[in-house]
Amino acid sequence: MRVSTRSAYLNGLAAIQQLQASLDRTQRQISSGRRILTPSDDPIAASRSLELREALSRLQQFGRNSTVVTNRLSQEESALAAVNNVLQRVRELALQGSNATQSNESRKFIAIEMREHLGNLEQLANQKDGNGGYLFAGNLENTQPVSRMGSTFTYNGDQGQRFIQIGEGRQVADSDPGSAVFFQIRSGNGEFATAAAAANTGTGVIGASSVIDPTLYDQDEYTIRFADPDNYDVFDSSGGLVASGAYVSGDTIAFRGIEFTLAGEPAAADEFIASPSPFQDLFSMVQNLANALETSSNSPESRAAMANQVNAGIMNMDQALGHILDVRTQVGSRLAAIEDQVDSNGSFALAMQTALAEIEDLDYAEAISRLSAETTTLEAAQKSFVITQRLSLFNLL
Amino acid sequence: MPDLLNTSLTGMLAFQRALQMTSHNITNANTPGYSRQVAEFATRIGGGAGKTYVGGGTKISIIKRMYDQLLVEQLRNSATGQARFTALNSMAGRIDSLLADADTGLSTGLQSYFNTLQDVSNDPGSIPIRQALLGEADGIASSFRTLDDRLQTLDSETNDRIRLAVDDINRLAAGIADVNDEIAIAGVGAQPNDLLDRRDQLVLELSGLISVATTVQEDGAMNVFIGSGQSLVLGDGAQRLGVRADEFDPTRLSVAYEGASGSTPLDTSLSGGTLGGLLEYRTRILDPSRQSLGQTAVAFVQQLNEQHQSGMDLRGNLGGDLFSMAPPTILYSSGNGGSGTASAMVADLGAFTGADYILEFDGASYSLTRGDTGQSVALTGTGTALDPFVADGIEIQVGGAPAAGDRIMIRTGQDAAGSIQNAITDPRALAIAAPTRSLASNANLGDASISAPTIVDSSDPALLTSAVIAFTSPTTYSINGAGSFVYTDGDPIVVNGSSVVITGVPSTGDQFTIEANYGAAGDNSNALLMTNLQSKGALDGGAISINESYAQLVASVGGTAHQIQAGLEAQNVVYANAQDAVLAKSGVNLDEEAANLIRFQQAYQAAAQVVNVTKVLFDSLLNATAR
Repeated sequence: MRVSTRSAYLNGLAAIQQLQASLDRTQRQISSGRRILTPSDDPIAASRSLELREALSRLQQFGRNSTVVTNRLSQEESALAAVNNVLQRVRELALQGSNATQSNESRKFIAIEMREHLGNLEQLANQKDGNGGYLFAGNLENTQPVSRMGSTFTYNGDQGQRFIQIGEGRQVADSDPGSAVFFQIRSGNGEFATAAAAANTGTGVIGASSVIDPTLYDQDEYTIRFADPDNYDVFDSSGGLVASGAYVSGDTIAFRGIEFTLAGEPAAADEFIASPSPFQDLFSMVQNLANALETSSNSPESRAAMANQVNAGIMNMDQALGHILDVRTQVGSRLAAIEDQVDSNGSFALAMQTALAEIEDLDYAEAISRLSAETTTLEAAQKSFVITQRLSLFNLL
Repeated sequence: MPDLLNTSLTGMLAFQRALQMTSHNITNANTPGYSRQVAEFATRIGGGAGKTYVGGGTKISIIKRMYDQLLVEQLRNSATGQARFTALNSMAGRIDSLLADADTGLSTGLQSYFNTLQDVSNDPGSIPIRQALLGEADGIASSFRTLDDRLQTLDSETNDRIRLAVDDINRLAAGIADVNDEIAIAGVGAQPNDLLDRRDQLVLELSGLISVATTVQEDGAMNVFIGSGQSLVLGDGAQRLGVRADEFDPTRLSVAYEGASGSTPLDTSLSGGTLGGLLEYRTRILDPSRQSLGQTAVAFVQQLNEQHQSGMDLRGNLGGDLFSMAPPTILYSSGNGGSGTASAMVADLGAFTGADYILEFDGASYSLTRGDTGQSVALTGTGTALDPFVADGIEIQVGGAPAAGDRIMIRTGQDAAGSIQNAITDPRALAIAAPTRSLASNANLGDASISAPTIVDSSDPALLTSAVIAFTSPTTYSINGAGSFVYTDGDPIVVNGSSVVITGVPSTGDQFTIEANYGAAGDNSNALLMTNLQSKGALDGGAISINESYAQLVASVGGTAHQIQAGLEAQNVVYANAQDAVLAKSGVNLDEEAANLIRFQQAYQAAAQVVNVTKVLFDSLLNATAR
């Protein structure tokens, strides 16, 4: 084929330019460490990498969120641990106070300490978190959750619970509202509460109570009335007679699926009441105990009345302790769930980073050997261009 | 009778001319479009009779232009293809690297916005964090606008390039017509080699701008046709191409043929060359990119706004728009005779395409076609406010008095991304909380619990009115003291636009309240729902999330750019081969010319030597007679 001088020149130059372009590309890949410089280099990988980056960024955010929830739950947990300790102490004090060896004075001292603890409990319930919001106010984080008007404790927060996203489709509550923690505690034995009527003149004291057959228990309010010190009748809330029995001190009185023990000597017309447990707040429970212990009791009847109240109070403390334990267990299981999620997020993130690296990152060994191959080729092309361009018959004329 | 001197003289003259031609070849070795010239020698007829016939010397019968019409046409075709891909590649490469750039890329902005939204939901009462979210909102709005702005810049640059290409075409057409004129002057049968080269070079340049077809007339003039057979050059006359404003959008240029019978639009019949490449780039890459970006923008803004409106801000008000965005752009054809108007809004993201649509009135009814494919789209509804036309997720309302044949363009996505603005500047106006909350009464004896409300109708006028669900028995309840409804454990109960779920066994007299969520600075319910939008499928029937939609744009532009690069590489090879073939036939080889130089010089010297011989012969004759 005939080769014109111009095409020899143009082709040589074009080859050199092409080699320079691919050398430039390799060089840019090496200096950026990226295999894909623009989406057109590998369109599928480019869009896949956008999706992976988004997922990774979400995982990182879930990591930050987990730290936030963990902090909050740890604060709640330590507050609840303190509440637990206080309640244990209150329960001990109540047991101590119920001892027959106590005098009116010593019981008063016990009551004074109990009121100290009541103040502590209030403070714990009104504790703030690290950001200045109340820990136990639900979503009304700027409202002090517990306030006392006279002898009444009021919850001012709401029942909302904040959830934080810690994984794809995984949310965890970062708090419990004060209503659930401190205010909605079932009193008595959790199902029903017993009390002696204030007008009782005997010395009957109620002991342990429980539901023995939930299918029979219908959550009505029952009154046990002593017709005479040895016989009693049980009436339901509409005055219907439910059961009757003969009484001996220490007997278990059972009807409609529930039972409780009664000791002492009730007088005729004395009444004992078993009603479905209402919600009661922790603070009133402690306050009632302190009130009971403070009452001077000099007669067997008034000692019996106090014993009934203190016994009910101790039962309440057991309920409260159990309730706080429930909440703490929930908090603990949330913390464990977060740890699990953080672990699984971590392994997800690792897998994604590996995938991302495979898609985006440059294989340096390959790139550098390509660079040296391209450099060699370019040098050869330049040399041969110079040599062929130098060839001319005119040089020999 | 031929004489020796004359014979040698013809040789000297011929070789001198051949040397001249060689020097012309040598000096034009690098002239683009030059075809080398070759002299053909022929004998001069001499005299004599019988068997003593003597020749009369030599002459150059023709100076031939080394040229192959087929090869030249191949070169023109490949130039048209190569220029088309070069234009496509350079413009598509710009979008490609624009999307690759992490600073202009949307993806990081979207991530950062949603991450900050999660930070807000971690501590919803914090004003500084809310402020940070507003900063991110400004950022993401500006990312959308910047990206769209860069694409718009590419659009107006395309306009400029189209104008330049049309100017070049007109200049080249006029040039070809002039050369045609000069060739005609040279006369029929003449071979004005250099003029022919010049004309071929002009046509080659022209075919780099636009696809052409040529024919040569008897008198040597060349006619050039473009598009679907419109004549650009006829003999010594050239027609012009013009640019004119698009029917709908005056800022967009289209190409028209300014023929003798008026101007006709050419856009669709142009293919190939720089001009064809530019027009193709605009409809095939740029417009769809802006529409796709707009689609992403609409999905982002509409979803967030909708969710935000279902929340409550720190002041106890329901949320407003988080971002503002212009509705689809309505453009009226410059040819409209009536006064018809239209307005449109995106009603259904799942069906929303972001494409351009053309609404046409035929005198009795409207019909809709897609701007890019020309496919007709079925319209439902009547176009009134109460019953708008609905098509592809768009609601269209029409009004005014259109005339038959009036056309309206609805740009549903193209301008969306450029119009996003952050609409909230007050951090307290961010609606992070749910508008309602639920409460269980402390006096409840049953063990039923109530869920937090979910909002099913944020536009319910009674949304913020308190409602009490009171159980009249463990299996029935009343709402606000009225009615008696059967309670089913776990079934949702909808009151005033809020939906709650009560689970467990309630006791008679148990009460649950749903009330306005005033003061709940710590509530993040609505923010949680908003963060979920990041990965929630919305577009394409609910299959494509915001980020996926952007990733699709990147993949589609990248894919097209990749194809174009491959196409350009192939075209470069085709062009180089065609050029090689033309140069092999027509190009000057300097070594060949050097050899010719020696050859003609020697021949000249030999002819000159004959003159010397003549002189010697004459001298000997003189010497013989001088005695």
